[in-house]
Amino acid sequence: MFTTPRLVAIALCAALNFAIGNVVYLVKLPIYLDSIGTILCALLIFPDRIAAICCAFIAGLIGVILSGLVINPFLPWFTFSVLAIALVSALLTARATDTFRAQPLVPLPFFGKVILYGVITGIVSAVVSAPVVVYLFGGVTGSGSAFLVAFFLKTGEQLLNAAVLAGLTTEPIDKTLQVLVAALLYRATPREFIAMLRPAQPAT
Amino acid sequence: MTPNGAIAFGLLVIAAAIAARDLVSLAVVLALLTVFALASRRSIVSALLWSAGIMLPLAAFMALVWVGIVGRAPHEIAAGTEGSRAAAAAYVTVVCTRLFVIALAVQALFLHFAAWTPLGFVRALTAPPVARKLLVLTLSLIETILHAVDRARTALIAGGIVTRQFSWRNLRHGWILVQTVWLIVVVIAIGRTRDKWPIEATLSRLDTALGASAPRLAAADIGWGAAGLACLIAAIGLR
Repeated sequence: MFTTPRLVAIALCAALNFAIGNVVYLVKLPIYLDSIGTILCALLIFPDRIAAICCAFIAGLIGVILSGLVINPFLPWFTFSVLAIALVSALLTARATDTFRAQPLVPLPFFGKVILYGVITGIVSAVVSAPVVVYLFGGVTGSGSAFLVAFFLKTGEQLLNAAVLAGLTTEPIDKTLQVLVAALLYRATPREFIAMLRPAQPAT
Repeated sequence: MTPNGAIAFGLLVIAAAIAARDLVSLAVVLALLTVFALASRRSIVSALLWSAGIMLPLAAFMALVWVGIVGRAPHEIAAGTEGSRAAAAAYVTVVCTRLFVIALAVQALFLHFAAWTPLGFVRALTAPPVARKLLVLTLSLIETILHAVDRARTALIAGGIVTRQFSWRNLRHGWILVQTVWLIVVVIAIGRTRDKWPIEATLSRLDTALGASAPRLAAADIGWGAAGLACLIAAIGLR
């Protein structure tokens, strides 16, 4: 499962997850883009689903650990979110690899699948992240979604419900953008590199 | 102290911070953590400032939301009582102190290994060889990516595609920077995997370097581990 090219792909995607924060900071983007490497790893390793899940999760895990050590010490708490994103990416999003690499790009299926899988990833991520947001951060993580949490609390919702509802409002947008960037990067990845990641075929 | 012992201590302290339910328990955890940081015999000012720098904006935001907007604590919401801003402020204080302890724990670990190289640290970790190899490869590729970011950003700024400051052009073209960086790094990775590493026997050398035996635990690890465990038990007992 862990061939040298796949180890390199995992390391690349983990490094991408880590470094993307730097890029976002440099271009002053008002979004997170913290799981692009995880989604991209699943796309690269597909169609070997088990390997895609394992590699995407490990890439995401290394990314949050390193980011946790250097940038934000609270990121490792979202490890289950990383696992959920890896599962959705390997089992659902990666089904669209043919569409993502189609030449020329066909806009309707491309963007349709990006939105569909982005929204699903966002919903799953929101549900899995909510307990961490509630129990570790008390419902407020410093992002704009905290105002949504406050709004839902004001309407009489319990904290966990408010955190889930706020996540369901914001996460699909963020994750759709991440799936879009991952799909564009996957599209730009040289065919030679993807071929290196395929399992070795037995000699006939 | 070994990296294994330091990580085990860090996890115990973080578990204690999570288990702590009031400021007294958190003060006990913070005191132990401060002693641990001071035991590194390095200045802990930078660690405190970094942790405060992470926490202060978050604390201000939490205060704004909980005290300013919501105006009552979660347990009051759950109980359906009217609540008070004082209870909300107390809740924010406990959450922020807990997060500060977690941030400081990471920095305190760094202080103990400030003189170590990343390779030396990973080599001393007790972990599967594949995991250690992955960590080293990732650290190496982060440097590569950061260099690629610098080069690509400079080129794209020179080409007028992105700007140094926030702009709509950055919003429209930011992904081009990401894509350019990715292409640079993938091409470098292909070159290394296919040509450079086999010729230089890099991976087998890495295996040899990571395979060198290192002590799993030191005497200091046992002491700090016991202190961390006692702290966790105290935090649970004070609930």
